[in-house]
Amino acid sequence: MNGAAVLVRRVAVLLALPTALIATWWITSAGSQSFYFPPLQTILETFVKLWLSPQAVPNVVPSLLRFAVGYFAAAFLGIAIGIPVGASRHLRNTLEPLLEFLRAIPPPVLVPVLILFAGIGDEMKTLVIVFGCIWPVLLNTVAGVRALDEVLAETVRSYRIGRFARLWHFVLPGASPQIFTGLRQSLSIGIILMVVSEMFAASNGIGFALVQYQRTFAIPEMWGGIILLGLIGIVLSLIFRAVEAWLLGWYYGLRRAQRAN
Amino acid sequence: MLEVRKLRKVYEGASRTVEAIRDVNFSVGQGELVCIVGPSGAGKTTLLKCIAGLLAPTSGSVVLEGNPVISPPPAMAVVFQEYGRSLFPWMTVHDNVALPLKQKKMPAERRQELVRNALAAVDLANVHGAYPWQLSGGMQQRVAIARAVAYEPHVLLMDEPFAAVDAQTRADLEDLIRVLWHRLRVTVLFVTHDIDESVYLGQRVLVMTHAPTVIMEDVAIDLPDERTQLETRSMARFGELRKHIYSQIQLAKQGWRPPGQ
Repeated sequence: MNGAAVLVRRVAVLLALPTALIATWWITSAGSQSFYFPPLQTILETFVKLWLSPQAVPNVVPSLLRFAVGYFAAAFLGIAIGIPVGASRHLRNTLEPLLEFLRAIPPPVLVPVLILFAGIGDEMKTLVIVFGCIWPVLLNTVAGVRALDEVLAETVRSYRIGRFARLWHFVLPGASPQIFTGLRQSLSIGIILMVVSEMFAASNGIGFALVQYQRTFAIPEMWGGIILLGLIGIVLSLIFRAVEAWLLGWYYGLRRAQRAN
Repeated sequence: MLEVRKLRKVYEGASRTVEAIRDVNFSVGQGELVCIVGPSGAGKTTLLKCIAGLLAPTSGSVVLEGNPVISPPPAMAVVFQEYGRSLFPWMTVHDNVALPLKQKKMPAERRQELVRNALAAVDLANVHGAYPWQLSGGMQQRVAIARAVAYEPHVLLMDEPFAAVDAQTRADLEDLIRVLWHRLRVTVLFVTHDIDESVYLGQRVLVMTHAPTVIMEDVAIDLPDERTQLETRSMARFGELRKHIYSQIQLAKQGWRPPGQ
């Protein structure tokens, strides 16, 4: 079997189950008279007409922007705080109770609190996303920095490698596989919080639109929003995987070589 | 060139205190190849780390070219036993060798030249773009040696560098060390547990006792300067020296202490 045939087969296997499920949904809902479960055909028609048109832009774009800002801010802060905490046992012991406490607070619960401080605008929603996304990144960064190889650390010391070079060439790459684990978890959490933060006090956004449609009984539009969220999740995940493959290619090679021995 | 005076290292633990090194005194002249041999647990690695400036001794001093060693000095390079863990897996062979040189502030061309020459000197001219985990164990240790050589040190410290490598590769690497030593006229301090290796390589062999360590004897190796695996190891004198050192080690293992302790 040549390369193209293998690829086609792979894609076919990948799409087989989803296609089967969608077909089942389509067929079983075809003549549906139920108000809350319209035919899939109707949902998809509404989806294309509404969510894939310029009409949806005032909702979709602000949501994605808030997600992007919140996610990257959380990633930056999580890594920036995680590195010194991971490197210093003293800092870890001092901060651990506080971090454990803050981590356990479900971010949506903070929405009413944050409304008091940050209002009901973009800042509040972005802060909710940051507060939820920072923990997996921070805690995984701490773990990654703690697990840095001692022999490599001594090598770095013996060659008198300076502080910035040490951070850029040793600490960050060394902890990066663990950091990416945290970033992946934060991705899922971020999407959820993006929607949830828009459901209480908002004037735009996908979550806001979903709640509006639900309240005004625009059911096919509501279902369409849910489908859109699923698609956004898939696309973000694919982008994440591509970036990870680019930055962690060395890590996959290393693990393969270790397993082969 | 290198003087170790009354070196003492005591590890203070929570439950117990371990005197690893009691009183080590020796000096190494410019351009000498000196081996350090001793039973397991003799504190060889502790001694090497104190000399390299990676570990602070409890008392005593290490003086390199007239300057006391308190942190890793720029005139020294260390080759560790665990080659797999002392090379950066996220960098190519070329970048691994070049990294310590970036700290030394030299024009890029000079750096490239040093890297090229060092890799050629260890017979690895063709793997500049490979990653360490793509290479065999012997080749990885050659990369570590190339990195040390490119650093242009005055003293090369080697901590049981060939212990984790198979016998055939070890023979090749031993010859490589002698070739490099002759060519670069660098001072070498070579720690090993392999008695045959210490006699084959060294001009002098320092025999260490069990912890708390002192130097038992400073054996002068009066073998010819041109050494080959085949000829030198079958010489009568080689056998005598080996037997002498071996019996000293046996005494050390049985807990021999110098008079007055």
